Amino acid sequence: MTRLMLTICAAIVLLTAGAVSAHHSFAAEYDSTKPVNVTGAVTKIEWNNPHVYFYIDVRDEKTAKVTNWAFEMGAPAVIARNGWTRTTMKIGDLVIVTGSQAKSGKPHGNARTVTMASTGKRLGAGSSEGQPPADQ
Amino acid sequence: MRHRWLPFCVAAGVMLWSWSLPSSTAQAPAGAGQPAAQGGRGGDQGGGRAGRGGRGGRAAQPATPSKPTPRWPDGRVNLSQAPGVKGFWNAMSGSPIGPNGLPGNLTLDQVPFQDWARELYAYRQSRGGLDDPHARCQPAGGMRFFTVPNGMEFIDQPELQRIFIIAGENRDWRRIAMEPGRKHPPEDLLIPSYFGDSIGWWEGDTLVVDTVGYNEKFWFIRGGLPHTRFMHLVERFTRTDFDTLRYEVTIDDRGAYTRPWSGGWNIRWQYTNYDASSGGEIHEYFCLDNERDAVEFAGK
Repeated sequence: MTRLMLTICAAIVLLTAGAVSAHHSFAAEYDSTKPVNVTGAVTKIEWNNPHVYFYIDVRDEKTAKVTNWAFEMGAPAVIARNGWTRTTMKIGDLVIVTGSQAKSGKPHGNARTVTMASTGKRLGAGSSEGQPPADQ
Repeated sequence: MRHRWLPFCVAAGVMLWSWSLPSSTAQAPAGAGQPAAQGGRGGDQGGGRAGRGGRGGRAAQPATPSKPTPRWPDGRVNLSQAPGVKGFWNAMSGSPIGPNGLPGNLTLDQVPFQDWARELYAYRQSRGGLDDPHARCQPAGGMRFFTVPNGMEFIDQPELQRIFIIAGENRDWRRIAMEPGRKHPPEDLLIPSYFGDSIGWWEGDTLVVDTVGYNEKFWFIRGGLPHTRFMHLVERFTRTDFDTLRYEVTIDDRGAYTRPWSGGWNIRWQYTNYDASSGGEIHEYFCLDNERDAVEFAGK
């Protein structure tokens, strides 16, 4: 039991200490045990501090229901280091997003990578969980 | 009862953070108004050129040996840009405890918490930063000013006997009064604030800053080490070479700790803009510009 507690606490400490450049810790808002991998068309982009946000319409193939997901990325200057510019992603672009869902369970996530479906180009999203391996 | 296991978090932190015994050099001030002194302290830290794409914190390791500490024509240490060399200071992170700082930093179990402060810290840790005022875009008060990204610069105005430290983060700034003999206002005249009332002086090549008058509305470091309105910080800034600013701080807060204690970290010079493009200039960052997190926090 004690070992389990220590493991949990170690995870807390690591999560709290690890995200050093975001204005909030990853663990405060997102759940790394709820991975997200969705594809959709971009409906809105907010290129602002403290986080770039973008929104995509995700269609459920079984029910045909469309849900608009919101995704948080790093600050503009942070994701610029990963190759992003304001025009990298445009309204209507089809993108594949990996990341983690918000603890609230809403269609809201912390993006880790964004892949442009048209080109296959994958960019790190400046996640407060940590940077993914670069492959661009 | 609900949080009986929380003390184990402290133990877990200790296990994770393996660092050595303290060698704190920051000391309470003997008095303000000491004259600027020349010469003496050379660099004792490796340089850390935060180059293109580099981060200003510990991760920024030297690509080339650092240049010597720059000086003004009168011999005083220059804590800012030098002619022909643009850039700014960018810590990105840093902590007065643990390995994300100077080698002599205290371990968590060495921090002289009062009991209530230890419990509160463990509780804050268990919440994963959910209660951090900075996550709601409140100012990075106290020493946290020197851990957030987005860069900072020293504006040294000896003719006006003051030094400003300006930051890209929310365009915050600190004012350090350098007038010889300057004292803090009486406590009943101090308006509690995020950055307090600061007076400074030079001890050799080290800028010493003494600050009181903090409010309790911020976490002075990520992770949530508690403090009270009694917090008194003595900060020591030493530019050990061109690329390295050694930041040492003594926390004297009889409300939260049983004795004063010290720690610090190194802050690196960044030659590029924050987004890694060429330029070396701090940029604007307003956390409230598109803040969306508070709604999510409230929904918990």
